[in-house]
Amino acid sequence: MSTLATFVKQQRQQKSMLLMTHVIYGYPTIDESLQMMTSLLEKGVAILEVQFPFSDPVADGPVITNACHDALENKPKLSQCLADITKLAAEYPNTKVLLMSYLNPILQYGFEALAADMQAGVAGIIIPDLPIDHHAMAAPLVEKSVDPIWLMIPDMSDERMEFVSQHAQGLLYCVSRKGVTGQGSDSQSEQSQLESYLNSIKKHTDVPLALGFGISTAQDIQGIVGLVDVAVVGSALLRAYQNGGLSEFNEKADELLTVQ
Amino acid sequence: MNDQGYFGQYGGSFIPEILYSSQQELLKHYREAMADPSFVESVKKEMQQYSGRPTPLTHCANLSAQIGGAQIYLKREDLNHSGAHKMNNVIGQGLLTKRMGKKRVIAETGAGQHGVATALISARLGLECTIYMGAHDIERQYPNVFWMKQLGATVVPVTTGSQTLKDALDEALRDWTASFEDTHYLIGTSCGCEPFPEMVAGFQSVIGEEVKDQAMAQIGKMPDKIFACVGGGSNACGIFLPFVGTDTELIGIEAGGCGDGVGEHAKRFHTDQAKFGISQGFATMFLQDEEGQLAPTHSISAGLDYVGVSPILADLSDRGLVRMSSARDEEVVAGFKQLMKAEGIIAALESSHAIAGGLREAAQLSPDQNIVINVSGRGDKDIFTIAKALGDEPFKDFLATYLEGEK
Ligand SMILES: Cc1ncc(COP(=O)(O)O)c(C=O)c1O
Repeated sequence: MSTLATFVKQQRQQKSMLLMTHVIYGYPTIDESLQMMTSLLEKGVAILEVQFPFSDPVADGPVITNACHDALENKPKLSQCLADITKLAAEYPNTKVLLMSYLNPILQYGFEALAADMQAGVAGIIIPDLPIDHHAMAAPLVEKSVDPIWLMIPDMSDERMEFVSQHAQGLLYCVSRKGVTGQGSDSQSEQSQLESYLNSIKKHTDVPLALGFGISTAQDIQGIVGLVDVAVVGSALLRAYQNGGLSEFNEKADELLTVQ
Repeated sequence: MNDQGYFGQYGGSFIPEILYSSQQELLKHYREAMADPSFVESVKKEMQQYSGRPTPLTHCANLSAQIGGAQIYLKREDLNHSGAHKMNNVIGQGLLTKRMGKKRVIAETGAGQHGVATALISARLGLECTIYMGAHDIERQYPNVFWMKQLGATVVPVTTGSQTLKDALDEALRDWTASFEDTHYLIGTSCGCEPFPEMVAGFQSVIGEEVKDQAMAQIGKMPDKIFACVGGGSNACGIFLPFVGTDTELIGIEAGGCGDGVGEHAKRFHTDQAKFGISQGFATMFLQDEEGQLAPTHSISAGLDYVGVSPILADLSDRGLVRMSSARDEEVVAGFKQLMKAEGIIAALESSHAIAGGLREAAQLSPDQNIVINVSGRGDKDIFTIAKALGDEPFKDFLATYLEGEK
């Protein structure tokens, strides 16, 4: 079994929910983004997702999109990003580090080169504009035991869920609703829709599930305990940072980590 | 094209999973519609009765004599309703939107031409309409924004990234990920995921089909060369595709801008700043840096100011079936002026790229040879930019007086 999946399953024996937090490499500066990562690692988040910024992030909402554009002013290099996060991953073996980026920066780097450079310390990769139909492009990663983390979405046909499940390993990223990152909304009927959506995924796979899009508080996380293995928080931490710097960022992380 | 929407190594569908089902739905409806003679007939009828097709093929005797080479003919897409070829595409996609039972369209626009065309067809077909436009472009192209709003469209300024066309396209895609149930993404050029490149090129192919008939009737044979400007590539695909594989040479003219430096032009061919890439839903040649970040572009004509290019043209160029060239801003303004003075035709600055390219090569041909230049749009919409490019001082006085009168 994939080391990422094994890790999640082991951690889940002690914790009702694992936290996956998101940091943009290079925002607001490379050093400050590394500081944010370090502080999350110090706190012991289970999974750290590092987004390598791209100029045209179509799956992201305004908060992350604008931060990516700011980050690009610092001319981040994917090679350096991989070196930096591999080092962090080695220092904090109790956290799994994942890379998130869009297809074009990865394509220019090359999937072979990426696989070689991720192998040492980065457990998986999320590429939101790489549909499952093109899974063959990610083959070099799979070969080096780096897990491509595919997306599930609501209202997906059974057939397509099965297709994704066949290629799933390590973790599946379940998008909670339509739209882009960074928008929340919850109601009673949405909760039951969410449950039936997640149940239908579980019929196809026993790969651990992460749920993302619109999770921003400890209460949100509490609400999905028992439904999935991992809660993904992205924009909310970024907003906390933008409001009150590293200290508010830390407070937010502490709040999110109260759900164990 | 193969069955996954590829044109050689270009094209395909690289969209977030959330858009998969609406993309599939569109594909299905599009195929069904094109196989339905009554739909094809309704598009044709609307093109005739709303947009004024067929547009003429105009022989330019004066201009041909001045250049002293080939006979120059213009395909007059400037005479479409809305003043550009953009109308052909919005008629097709607008009617398809109705057929799919969707009530809203969204579109990206750079200069605003496609935005205005979309707002026009939306008013006519009773569709709700939202246009995404870069905040920088809104500042530069307010008159078009004015018309979109008057027509009832919502114009959303896009303030992310370079605040231009590519960012507007990203934002339209984001809207679509949340709205696909009742909304059609009415893309403005032959780019994007399957089936957009094929669909837009298909609706635009009426241009080339007409040229074939008109050339036979007016010249008695097919033209030796056809020139078209290339932004996203829709007017070029439209006039070229019916001629691919024939003896007519097809030449695409990109925006050479003001220089060869990064951000000074919008050339996706014959520059090492453009490489194979995948973004905005499809694979093509994108202007980008070594990290794969999409690069800034420049052109005197906002409509050619785009980082990517139609996958159809990228493939035809690779296969040697279309030859890509470019024209710089100053050459474009010179071509614009020469045509205007010689024939009394005011071409769009986008189209003036094709004119510059055509005039350059016409000179090397003999008078018994014929070329067709696609005048994709009319230039009176560019009055602000052209007045500036021509350094017209009284225009500034006029604007000052106009503002004075408002106080
Ligand atoms: C008049 C005119 N010509 C050409 C273009 C470029 O688009 P395309 O390359 O898709 O024809 C535009 C785009 O706005 C336009 O308005």
